[in-house]
Amino acid sequence: MMRMSRRAFAKATAVQGIVTLFGGGASMALAQDGGTIKLGLTTALTGPYNEFGEGNKRGFDLAIDLCNANGGIDGRRVEIVTALDDQMVPDRAAQNMRRLLDDPSLVAILGPAGSGPTMAVIDMVTADGRPYVNPLAQATVATYPAGLDKPPRANVFQFGILSPVEADVLGRYVAKTYKKIGLLHESTPYGVAGRDTLLAVIKAFRPDVDITTESYNQRATDVTAQLVRIQRADVEAVLVVGLGTDLVNIRRSMVRLGLSQPLVTSSGGLSLPYLEGAGEAAIGTIAPMVSVLVEGNPRPEVVRFVNEYKKKYGADRYWGPDSERPQLQMSLIVIPAFDGANVLFEGMRRANSTEPAKVIAAIESLTDFPGVNAVYSFSPQRHHGLRPESLSMLRVVKKVDRLGLEVVRS
Amino acid sequence: MKFVFTLIVAGLSVGSIYALIAITLNLSFWTTRTVNFGQGAVLMLCAMSTAFMSRSGVAIWLAAGLGIAAAAVASIAAERISVRPALRAAGSMGWVVSTLGFGICLQGVVAKYLGGQAIAFPDVVLSSTTFVELFGLRIGAQYLLIICFSLLTIVVLDLTLRHTIWGRVVMAVAQDRELAEVFGIPVTRVVTISFALSGVVAGVAGILTAQLIGTVDAAFGFSLLISGFVAGIVGGFGNDWGALVGGLLVGVIEQLVAGFVSTSAGHAVSLSLLMAILALRPQGLLGRPEVLKV
Repeated sequence: MMRMSRRAFAKATAVQGIVTLFGGGASMALAQDGGTIKLGLTTALTGPYNEFGEGNKRGFDLAIDLCNANGGIDGRRVEIVTALDDQMVPDRAAQNMRRLLDDPSLVAILGPAGSGPTMAVIDMVTADGRPYVNPLAQATVATYPAGLDKPPRANVFQFGILSPVEADVLGRYVAKTYKKIGLLHESTPYGVAGRDTLLAVIKAFRPDVDITTESYNQRATDVTAQLVRIQRADVEAVLVVGLGTDLVNIRRSMVRLGLSQPLVTSSGGLSLPYLEGAGEAAIGTIAPMVSVLVEGNPRPEVVRFVNEYKKKYGADRYWGPDSERPQLQMSLIVIPAFDGANVLFEGMRRANSTEPAKVIAAIESLTDFPGVNAVYSFSPQRHHGLRPESLSMLRVVKKVDRLGLEVVRS
Repeated sequence: MKFVFTLIVAGLSVGSIYALIAITLNLSFWTTRTVNFGQGAVLMLCAMSTAFMSRSGVAIWLAAGLGIAAAAVASIAAERISVRPALRAAGSMGWVVSTLGFGICLQGVVAKYLGGQAIAFPDVVLSSTTFVELFGLRIGAQYLLIICFSLLTIVVLDLTLRHTIWGRVVMAVAQDRELAEVFGIPVTRVVTISFALSGVVAGVAGILTAQLIGTVDAAFGFSLLISGFVAGIVGGFGNDWGALVGGLLVGVIEQLVAGFVSTSAGHAVSLSLLMAILALRPQGLLGRPEVLKV
């Protein structure tokens, strides 16, 4: 083994540092040249959760296609030059992100689907500083590490539904509408945190509300005991914090036991497995969702997105079974990515640059930028796109021969 | 009272599922003196493949039949791959790990080819929301179906073991495998048939349970296996009536504790019951102590 003298070692380190300094500068110059604007992506392209990753990518790809068809950004084409598959596995997302961040030619990063992989990469992404689009992860700390009322991560912009935002809408609706509530939550940290957040919102809005709380284990075979205890409390509604798969069991059990109270749940509850599994028992279920796809008189951006999506992808699994109308779940998976990409491109246009600090500042200056899911406004303190006003309470109804959604009018 | 009866009925239904799983474990235990810890995955395979085929347009009864057949084949594979080689070494307990490994492997294969996300499970027999009213109490029809099927399975199994040639052959292999071979009994075939039957019953249990829950995924079945194992130990491992008594007892206790004490305590109490039985009456409620002459 060759042994290096101390002097030689110091010299080598100094040379390394100089190369990195000027090499980094050269990389910045590369990123600023007039060629293609290069983006990097890691998401669940394959695997059991590719529904989310593939959906995000379709949103990103559509936004890029439309941008390039309109002349790109200042005449420069946009392209995802590196798309890596993490299968929504946090470790893999971290490895992929390391590869992306080691590529100085990328001007921005499109983040993975899901809170697990996002939390695995968010610290290295924050340290890197390039603009980062978070299309799906709901965890507040991914964007606001110290809480929603504290400064966000400088370069992270979030386009899905933040948990506190959803809890605010859901909690206010429940507190306003019902005096006695049964709150059923899964026993996982997600369920417990969701319960605590909701209780705080409900109690703040209506301190005299009567709440009976029960918990269940994820994938429980039977929830009869929980439901009969809630039934004994003579509640007016059953509020559930849990995943759509367990919601099927809960809803069916409610029907079997004769609980006719409405089931109110979070946006994740209105998933396809729930609607398919519960069937007609799902009718009457209420949840907060982005409602742009079910509202009458949609904004031009919504109409454009719908038409362009159908032109590019047809009535695919994200579009849903109704060939005339896209399903609501597009607002949860595809549209956040589409809007996120468009906000990023608008930031680059306004900055007239791809330099990270300038792009970030430009995005933070956006006010009333028309996206699909919402009209977006950002600031140095606000890096999330969807506000409580962006959500509506929706109810599952029967529409001719299939289930549909309507906005709950208060 | 209505509250108590509702809990008891739910407990009897869930307990019947545990009893069915304990029976499937018995079927493989009798002929090999091993417990197939991959049984949960066999159950899951039937449910997932039934749901997948049904969504692809296959008629539900055909999908269920093919799913049950797949479970039988998987159970036979479990015996060939993870039980038989482990039993070659006398006194080896390697089958504990190998059957568990088989189950994990099967889970992975299903997740890769059928997807890891939950999918809706169709109603195969009766609708999930159909109920019967008895003395002012609403009882889910599928609950009653599970209880009746469980009872029927045990009665048929008991009669078969006592009054048919195959039943006597199985008991002979269970008592002394080597002597059974000497007498010309095709032991290997008997073991294969018992594992196949175990897979069939597991498949049916999977379908009945998946109907109740409404969705299935690759992780479905493992927690049921644990509960079925507990039921088998409590009732007396290897005893089919013990499986029924153990299953119903565990199911009812879980529901009553969840209803009167805490919904989080149900499983903890059933596992405490397991520990108490192992300490005080290790052969189980209806089992006979094993005596070794020295």
